[in-house]
Amino acid sequence: MATSPANTTATTAPPEQGSGGLPQFDLPTWPGQMIWFLIIFGVVLLLMSRWFVPKIGGAINEREDKIAGDIGSARKLKEEAEAQAAAAAEETRQARARAQKVASEAKARAAAELAARQAAEDAKLAESLAAADVAIKAARDQAMANVRTIAADTASSIVEKLTGEAPAAKEVEAALVGNA
Amino acid sequence: MASIEPMKQFLVHEVVHIDPIVVPGLGAINMSITNSVLAMMIGALIIVALLGSAARGQLVPGRMQAFGEALYNLIDGTLVGPMIGDKGRPYIPFIFSIFMMVLVLNMMGLVFAIGNLGGQEWTFTATAQLAVTATLALITFLSVVVIGFVKNGFKFFKLFAPGGVPWPMLIFLVPIEIISFMVRPLTLSMRLFGNMIGGHVVMNIFATFVVMLAVLGMSGGIATLGWLGAGVSFFMVVALTALEFIVAFLQAFVFAALACVYLNDVVNLDSHGH
Repeated sequence: MATSPANTTATTAPPEQGSGGLPQFDLPTWPGQMIWFLIIFGVVLLLMSRWFVPKIGGAINEREDKIAGDIGSARKLKEEAEAQAAAAAEETRQARARAQKVASEAKARAAAELAARQAAEDAKLAESLAAADVAIKAARDQAMANVRTIAADTASSIVEKLTGEAPAAKEVEAALVGNA
Repeated sequence: MASIEPMKQFLVHEVVHIDPIVVPGLGAINMSITNSVLAMMIGALIIVALLGSAARGQLVPGRMQAFGEALYNLIDGTLVGPMIGDKGRPYIPFIFSIFMMVLVLNMMGLVFAIGNLGGQEWTFTATAQLAVTATLALITFLSVVVIGFVKNGFKFFKLFAPGGVPWPMLIFLVPIEIISFMVRPLTLSMRLFGNMIGGHVVMNIFATFVVMLAVLGMSGGIATLGWLGAGVSFFMVVALTALEFIVAFLQAFVFAALACVYLNDVVNLDSHGH
């Protein structure tokens, strides 16, 4: 089987080699090679345009789209989460403000109540203080009045003892006023 | 004993005979499956297997899908996108087909070389056949011409008259532009063909040296030094293999990049000030 082709080439090729010709310039081999190459290239081109390129290129595009879509949805989710976080922060801020308001109101109310009670207590205290003052004054006046009587009595009895004669009440009185 | 026959690897021979098809006007065309055609078929099958297992459309790519997507991104993100722009999206399958065909056919000439160790011919580099590179270059060239006319109508010819050039200069410029346009299929095909054939010939020669010098070394005496030469040649083959892998990828990339440049000319003809 291998001998007959070898024989056919042997008849044509060696003389060409001897004359320095390339086997590639053996023109009778050209038409068959060219037509076969056209057919085979056509088949490859057909498969390439119908099968390989759409499938491989499609997979690449699909992947790029998927990645872009995923990144987009991730970004959207992130934005949503950020918006929710901002809303939550705002809510917290409002709640804190409300709580602070309530607390300060309560504090003010307590302070006011305290002040009122203190004022009432103060008033009561002042009242009893005034009453005590009055009582003290009355007791002192009385005591002072008694002191004068006692002094007059003492003076008249001393004078009586010294002179043997009771002084007139008017004189004792004058003497007390003058000494006083 | 081994002899230096670096061109033998490029010989086309029949593998499965198919009766010639007679095309009116062209004569009989031998449609037999040759080793070159077989390499193209295996290459196409490798592409289908590679990209078929990559075309799963999973959101989280597996190993093969990640590999296929890396290739796709190379075409879409490095070539078509920056060079043509959004208008170039419909041409991604075309550029991708060119890139994969050239890449796989180039690589097959290197990866399958493991089978050549047993003295069999596993490798056949279809891209080292001028017929194949010329066909691919013509496909690219004619696609550019057809797309150019479909997209721009007769404004297509503005391609040969760059804008902002004083008219006396056009007398010289237009022929130059036309020649540089017409020569594109030639440069496209010769660049790939030359790179592939050159690398494979040099590798073949050094690989033959390994065997020849080792055989010489076995004969003893001063010829024992042949072993040294064989070792040096062996390392040359290893180094060249690494280089050829780079070249195989680079030529596929360059072919696809140039196809993008040429397509860009006609797709963005209005917005480029040609």
